[in-house]
Amino acid sequence: MSPVGSINPLAASALTRLDAPLPKVGLANGPQATPPTDGFGQVLDGLIATVDGKQATAQALTRQVLLGDSGQLHQSVIAMQEASVAFSMMVEVRNKLVESYQELMRMQV
Amino acid sequence: MNLIAGIDVTAGALNAQKTRLDIVAQNIANAQTTRTPEGGPYQRQVVSFETELVRREGGASLQSVKVGGISADKTPGQQVYNPQHPDAGPDGLVTMPNVNLAYEMVDLITASRAYEANLSVVKNARQMAMKALDIGK
Repeated sequence: MSPVGSINPLAASALTRLDAPLPKVGLANGPQATPPTDGFGQVLDGLIATVDGKQATAQALTRQVLLGDSGQLHQSVIAMQEASVAFSMMVEVRNKLVESYQELMRMQV
Repeated sequence: MNLIAGIDVTAGALNAQKTRLDIVAQNIANAQTTRTPEGGPYQRQVVSFETELVRREGGASLQSVKVGGISADKTPGQQVYNPQHPDAGPDGLVTMPNVNLAYEMVDLITASRAYEANLSVVKNARQMAMKALDIGK
């Protein structure tokens, strides 16, 4: 279960990244004051990579079980569930991002 | 650290119970075996568990379980009078394995229930994670 261990720092950095630029955007002199840091893209890439890693782990374990290399059926199912939860979380983060974007777009100027 | 809390501990327990089930299967399968590589009838095997410390990143370390050892049950087997048996002694008695099917069935059910209990822990942990994700909805 070691490759699944890296989502927490990523998620934490995603959270700080998410709420760091937002107040500046809300200010009057927002856009020119924000230096181009590693933006949403990289954070999202990291998140997706972690989820993908979890799914790869689950797939590898399932494959081992199906090929008879390992009798640990429960490990494979647990890994699949982990991947499923991680995927749901990724979708949730994406929904939040889209929601906040649409909220901004609807804003009266 | 895993997304689903405490899953390592449960996985260890599931593994241990599965090993126990395997050993029960072995005992039942060899309930009539009178010849083994070590000589003598088959001896019933017993699994013992021991705790195993699972260290997790950013969380309290928990104690999981693993199979500590598989040892033979030393009680003598039943003597059965059966002179036709190839392994019968000069007095016609055969020493059968010390496997008691009733014990094995009880062990089987215990292992199966323990496995189920651990599975429901997994299920509940997953439900908790999904409920936490529902906060945003």
